[in-house]
Amino acid sequence: MTPADSALGEFEIRVKELEALAPPVTLSDEERVSRAKQVMLEKLDSHTAMDLETCVHCGMCAEACHFYESTQDPKYTPIHKAYLLRKVYRRELSPVRLLNKLFLREITAKQLDEWTELAFNSCTECGRCDLMCPMGIHISRAISITREALGAAGAAPAELRAVEYEQVTKDTLFGVGAKQLTQTIEELRARGLDIPLDKPTAEVMLLTTAVDLVLYKETLAATAKILNALKVSWTLQSCGFEAANFGMLSGHLRGQALESQRIIDAAIACGAKIVITPECGHAYPALRWEAANDLGKPLPFDVMAISEYVGREIRSGRLKVHPIDGPRKVTYQDPCKIGRHGGVFEEPRAALKALGVELHEMESHGKTQYCCGGGGGVFLIDAAEPLRRRTFEIKQHQVDETGADALVTTCNTCRLSLSSAGRKVNWNTPIESLVELVAANLADTP
Amino acid sequence: MTLLDFARGPGFFIAFVILIAGILWRTSGLLLLRWRRNLAKPRIPGPVAAVAGGLRAVAMRSVPPHELEKNITFQHFTGYAWHIGWFVTFLFLGAHLPFIRSILGFGWPNLPNGILLVITAITLGILLTLYIRRLFHPVLRVITDMDDHISVLLTILPLVTGIAAFAHWSAFGLRYEKVLAIHLLSVEALMVWLPFGKIFHCVTGLLTRFRLGATFIRRGVRA
Repeated sequence: MTPADSALGEFEIRVKELEALAPPVTLSDEERVSRAKQVMLEKLDSHTAMDLETCVHCGMCAEACHFYESTQDPKYTPIHKAYLLRKVYRRELSPVRLLNKLFLREITAKQLDEWTELAFNSCTECGRCDLMCPMGIHISRAISITREALGAAGAAPAELRAVEYEQVTKDTLFGVGAKQLTQTIEELRARGLDIPLDKPTAEVMLLTTAVDLVLYKETLAATAKILNALKVSWTLQSCGFEAANFGMLSGHLRGQALESQRIIDAAIACGAKIVITPECGHAYPALRWEAANDLGKPLPFDVMAISEYVGREIRSGRLKVHPIDGPRKVTYQDPCKIGRHGGVFEEPRAALKALGVELHEMESHGKTQYCCGGGGGVFLIDAAEPLRRRTFEIKQHQVDETGADALVTTCNTCRLSLSSAGRKVNWNTPIESLVELVAANLADTP
Repeated sequence: MTLLDFARGPGFFIAFVILIAGILWRTSGLLLLRWRRNLAKPRIPGPVAAVAGGLRAVAMRSVPPHELEKNITFQHFTGYAWHIGWFVTFLFLGAHLPFIRSILGFGWPNLPNGILLVITAITLGILLTLYIRRLFHPVLRVITDMDDHISVLLTILPLVTGIAAFAHWSAFGLRYEKVLAIHLLSVEALMVWLPFGKIFHCVTGLLTRFRLGATFIRRGVRA
């Protein structure tokens, strides 16, 4: 067993212990239903309402969903996962609600519990269904609201509630906080790497994640190497370094805003013009697309995913890399939250091109890419493990079809999910970090 | 007043008023709900990009990428086929054109009846096939509700009664005038139901496509 396998194994054990750490839900059934409805009605806007009115029940979205495709279980049909939201909308807000009330009953606490499996365990909010719907319904948005309603009703999975509670109350994740950040930085500095921490002013503020500090320290080291090669003024800030946002993943709206606010405060304090999110899929939309709306004002800095930043710098000629040694066939996994939800498709590919690798695309790549199966917090949900294994088969097949020697990605959840599922079936295709690949081949590096 | 007189006169007028008032009520109700201002900085900024992204989704959503389309080929093509067949029958049947001219003040040449009969029969066949599929397909069974049954029935009825009127069938002892009146009433039932059921997607379907396209292009994704 390699050290990486061992670290991953230890991390998986820690994940399995999460369920017991979740705060208890003390709400009555009536309160839970009331809170869920309140969130739904607050979040429903003209756009989502029109989406819900326009569904023709064609069921085509099922064919875009990896959970349905791998199990053929109809309950995983994406629009069905938004059924409770649709029901509340049709009863309470629809222009024809008087008619609808004749046929639709109130949602119940039992239904909220049933929908935990559908909106959380079997939905990574990957958004592939959004591209399939012939009516152009933003299905993932409707499921996201459903998650928020379930979160308010205490119906989010215990693992996500536990991690979210820890992040809000202790500002740590998996026991990792500012102290462990400092330790890791000291460790990397001891290797001769210059990693600025808590600089009073910097043009670029880098974020990292507890997962990187525990499992993928080399990704942080590689990112530092790249930023140093670019000679930009950058820093990590111990009071706002955590990119992961478990408020967003668990549907806890106040937590989501609080976790973004910590980053924003830190960035403002050091005068950063750019905040870079690490190779962490959901961290990007949490800050890039959601934070300004959560807090009610535009962000005073640009947000870039590290792959986007690196690709941009390579394309501009400011970051120089040399081609890797020898021929190498790779395929690229677009993380859903950075690609389909973020529009970052070209920059990672520009980096791979500069590295001179042969890129063999999967049949579904770019905006139609299949999710790794663990996004949206699903990797942490123990009850979703059998489902993740099934969805992995799709990804495994797609990767194997390319004949690539390695899979490159730019998301630690993709790496975790695919490594974990792959290990169980002895799938040995290496899964590599784009940033690490770039850092290992910087032109200025001897 | 005969049934035919009613269907041609007050029946049609009532259905038309409900159709228009219902569409206006439901559409304005949707548009008057809260609109959220998106405060995140767009990757591709500006109203021109948003409109272009929206229009692209309106046009291209009918042609999904191969890796998505390959799983829905049957439903995809049959879905568009019956819609086209239904509207071709409505717009190009010789017997319909005087009515259309009386409403619009102008018309267009009709298609030969033989061709339209074939198109109508195919359309009806597809609709019935899709409905039977809806009753047995596991996914469709989960998401089907009463609206689907009513909407399918009211979409099929004008075709069935239309064929009966066209062929001058006189089943159950009904005279041609009665059959024609039933045909008109079936269309009026569809008009009355349209603003309240899922057939309303004919009003909002392009808008939702447009909004999705405009939303995604802000993020740099051509949806």
